[in-house]
Amino acid sequence: MVDIQALALVLAEPFMQRALIGGLLTGALGGLLGSVAVLRELSFFSDALGHSALLGITVGILIGVNPTLVLIPFAVVFAILVNQLVERSSLPTDALLNIVYSTSLAAAILFLSLVESYRGGIRQLLFGDILGVSSLDLIVIGMLLVAALIYLSLSLRAQVLLTLNQELAGAVGVQTRWHRLAFIVLLAVVVAVSIKAVGVLLISAFVVIPACAGRLLCRRFPLYVIVSSALGGTCALLGLLASGLTNLPSGPSVVMVQFLGFLIALVLSSGIFRRPSTTAPDPQL
Amino acid sequence: MHSPVVVVSDLSVERSGRLAVEEVSFELQSESETAVVGPNGAGKSTLVAALLGLLPRTAGQVQILGQQLSSNGDLPGAIRSQIAYVPQSLALQGRFPLSVAEFVGFGFDPPGPRWPWHQHRKRKSAVEKALDRTGCIDLRNRLLSELSGGQLKRVMLSFCVVRPRQLLVLDEAQAGLDVPSNERFQQLLLELRRQEGWTVLHVSHDLDMVRRSSDQVLGLNRRLCCSGSPDHTLTPERLVDLYGPNMVPYRHQCHG
Repeated sequence: MVDIQALALVLAEPFMQRALIGGLLTGALGGLLGSVAVLRELSFFSDALGHSALLGITVGILIGVNPTLVLIPFAVVFAILVNQLVERSSLPTDALLNIVYSTSLAAAILFLSLVESYRGGIRQLLFGDILGVSSLDLIVIGMLLVAALIYLSLSLRAQVLLTLNQELAGAVGVQTRWHRLAFIVLLAVVVAVSIKAVGVLLISAFVVIPACAGRLLCRRFPLYVIVSSALGGTCALLGLLASGLTNLPSGPSVVMVQFLGFLIALVLSSGIFRRPSTTAPDPQL
Repeated sequence: MHSPVVVVSDLSVERSGRLAVEEVSFELQSESETAVVGPNGAGKSTLVAALLGLLPRTAGQVQILGQQLSSNGDLPGAIRSQIAYVPQSLALQGRFPLSVAEFVGFGFDPPGPRWPWHQHRKRKSAVEKALDRTGCIDLRNRLLSELSGGQLKRVMLSFCVVRPRQLLVLDEAQAGLDVPSNERFQQLLLELRRQEGWTVLHVSHDLDMVRRSSDQVLGLNRRLCCSGSPDHTLTPERLVDLYGPNMVPYRHQCHG
């Protein structure tokens, strides 16, 4: 039974209101970029970016600069370098990304062990702290969501053709290198900005799960992008409300709701609820 | 005499550290159909990719519709929108939420950023016409990832014919088509050339079809081994030169 009074009390708190708006925007942003990332087989790339962000935060702490300021440029440079490595290497992408992300994680943990004052904060870095989202964070995430919406809308044709066949895209005039790079940089910035709320370990779920659910449900590309984004935002909102009511950690609660959404999409797309065909059976059969 | 749509001079292309195409020169005359034939690994797809500006050239020049292809493969948007290309395949792993009509609609838009709803009505009408023309109208609401290989090839051709063009480049586009679809495909290429003045360049392994439909054949095995009319090029001696001594040329008698 839901305790309405307790829920009302929690919702009245400004930090909770910021958390809900932050969750909604971060979830929508993850679903939006995830819709393209999943089709372009960049799911593992977002995971690697998440882990590299931990290294970025650690570098910030070590050099005595606010980690949030270091994180975005670090993630962008890291994404460009990894992209170059993937493009130029003859090794499979998943193996390369595995090397990159496990090495980043190991380096980050080694560096963190050198910093006495930050040992207690590892849990927060790993799982995020959506309740600590500030008004400035909300403005940045909101602006990023608008920028991503405009970029993806204007470049929808380029994104689809690039995903289907890079040579076809190039032949009809898509600036393939520019769009590949622009998308990866955008993904890196989104991951870096969302880390505070979502955490290093769960960031890829925000990118991958709503997009996979949308992919199962939709048959039109623009609708797929919108549904993925809407699912991301809605699941984040519901997960945070559940977390507020049950006093469970917020990031994992959101991911569990996303997973529930994915299961529902899986059932709906399996045809269990589809109406049977109304055409008369062939008398010869 | 038709003017050349494409002029390739001394083109060399490196791929994976080796010279895949070496000093190749040829011209494509307007409204003609040219086939590139040769064994696997002969550099046919590399030649096509370099011609379209998708791969860097090691040496040589490419001119398309009077415009020189820049060293980084750039062409003005007005020239790009006159070129259509059908690749060997599309990356459609798993369920891809894109309908046939949407995909063909992307062929209608010229290069550059645009809002998705730009010219919606014009695009819709052009898509219907293109799908009808290629016999794919019944597939318009199907997902691209639900199509068979042959259907996908026909839909890719719809993507090309959705707007007027001057140059159509096909990389083994007819592989996997059944006999009626192949005939229809070939008929459509003929219509595009004769009625709308398209020029066609295609990579093919179907020598019988090449013999019947092409005006010019380029026999490629890294270098251009032979070129000219099908009767001049597809002789048993030249085919053995091109493919090696195990090549046994066979000609369908029904096509004379």
